[in-house]
Amino acid sequence: MELFSDQFNGYLWQMVQGAYITLQLFAAGFTLALVLGTLIGIVTLSRNWLIQAVWKTYASIIMGVPSLLIIFLLYYGGSAMLSGLFGTDRSFDVTPFGAGVTALTIVYAAYVAELVHGAVMNLPKGQFEACSALAIGPVAAWRHVILPQLTRLALPGLVNIWMIVLKDTPLVSLAGLNDLVANAKIAAGATKEPFIFFIAASLFFIVFSALTLRLSARLEARFGRGLAEVKA
Amino acid sequence: MSALPIDFALAWDSLPQMAEGLVTTLLITVLVLVLGLPLSVLVTLARMSRSRILSWPAAAFVVFFRGAPLLILLYLVYYGFGQIEALRDGPLWVIFGSAFACAVIGLTLNHVAYMVEVVRGSLNAVPAGLVEASAALGLTPRETFTYIRLPLAMRYGLAAYQNEVVMFTKGTAVVSVITVIDLTAVANELFEETYDPFTPMLTAAAFYWCLVNAIRLGFGALENHLNRHQRREQAVKPTTPAGAAAAAAEPPAGAPVAPLRRMIGSDRRPVPVKAAAPALSTATPKEHAL
Repeated sequence: MELFSDQFNGYLWQMVQGAYITLQLFAAGFTLALVLGTLIGIVTLSRNWLIQAVWKTYASIIMGVPSLLIIFLLYYGGSAMLSGLFGTDRSFDVTPFGAGVTALTIVYAAYVAELVHGAVMNLPKGQFEACSALAIGPVAAWRHVILPQLTRLALPGLVNIWMIVLKDTPLVSLAGLNDLVANAKIAAGATKEPFIFFIAASLFFIVFSALTLRLSARLEARFGRGLAEVKA
Repeated sequence: MSALPIDFALAWDSLPQMAEGLVTTLLITVLVLVLGLPLSVLVTLARMSRSRILSWPAAAFVVFFRGAPLLILLYLVYYGFGQIEALRDGPLWVIFGSAFACAVIGLTLNHVAYMVEVVRGSLNAVPAGLVEASAALGLTPRETFTYIRLPLAMRYGLAAYQNEVVMFTKGTAVVSVITVIDLTAVANELFEETYDPFTPMLTAAAFYWCLVNAIRLGFGALENHLNRHQRREQAVKPTTPAGAAAAAAEPPAGAPVAPLRRMIGSDRRPVPVKAAAPALSTATPKEHAL
């Protein structure tokens, strides 16, 4: 197939649109997972046995089951679950995008929560003790003392999760979402040029992760100021 | 709606089919692990090599196959190689013509690229003093690598390796897209036959859960086995200082030391040792990437 012919450009444009959907899905999934995961992580620091039992079950299931299965489960069974929750008289449409965002959120919230636990363990106990000695309330303490330090401690792990979510996003195309990979597959099938389109699609992911790695290195340097050791 | 929308009769009837899918999943996992370990050590050595002819292609390999999502890699191998005329007529078509082999190739490429970072991290975690010491004792670089660095790195890298194995075992669920009938594909088929959205998926999920936790338990046992000399130290610690000193004097039974002693004893003049060698550092290296 002629490079940069009209047909080729058309498929390329379709892939660009797909990339936009992929990015939307990724951004929504990661943000929601981050927020929900942080909340879950903080709540499950409690020693209450019920909270611990629920958390252990949730974490064990999520970490033992492929995310693809959870995407399928939510996509196929999503409307039945919603009618079960909000009454059977109404019917619900589950879009692949909605199922994908929900699945990514549920799965990666568990990983983020685990990360929060690790970061809190690494935080010196004195930080909590100093807060209570200074009579800083729990909300203010978390907001102004603990969370800012957790951000620094959790950043490397968070970058890791960012990469994994990015590489899990294309799985939602298997539930019928017209994202970058789905469009690349259509283009490859129609033009019989699988190498061009699939390598273009993977370059998108590689370039995107390379850019964010640079950004995260800068962030790490910024959060670490005042703490970083001089390199010999 | 009942609390648990699972059709247990259907789940029970689907067990034989699920078990077949599980066998495929297991076969792919084991094949990729067996192929991936030696390959990843080779690529790591190339990556760490001082020669650019070796290290640059290895670095490019890692960047590409680590950065590209597994789904695209599988498409690339399965649909891409089928387009090459020379390959289709050649003898290698036996391999590239089968979806199963394509799945193994795609997964292995991805797995090796991830493993390079794991192996590199654990080789670098071996304290420099040990390498210097073995050079001072007259071991060649190759002997240092096989008897000192590799055994220690294996112990250091085990946690990261377990992480990677678990992640990639879950990743094998994707192979159903290139027509391999694995556990996920069986669940999907059953869904299309019965339109029961929960039972097949949840049954498959239970199988995956058992598989992943069996892997976790296996790694736990392996870790215990590789760290058994440390466990003995811990057991001795609470006793009197004299007991602890006696424990330190007795040769540690760890894997890395035994071959070295054998070697020194057999074909090398024993080196006079003044003080008892300090116990190998048992500090765990810093956490590796997930």
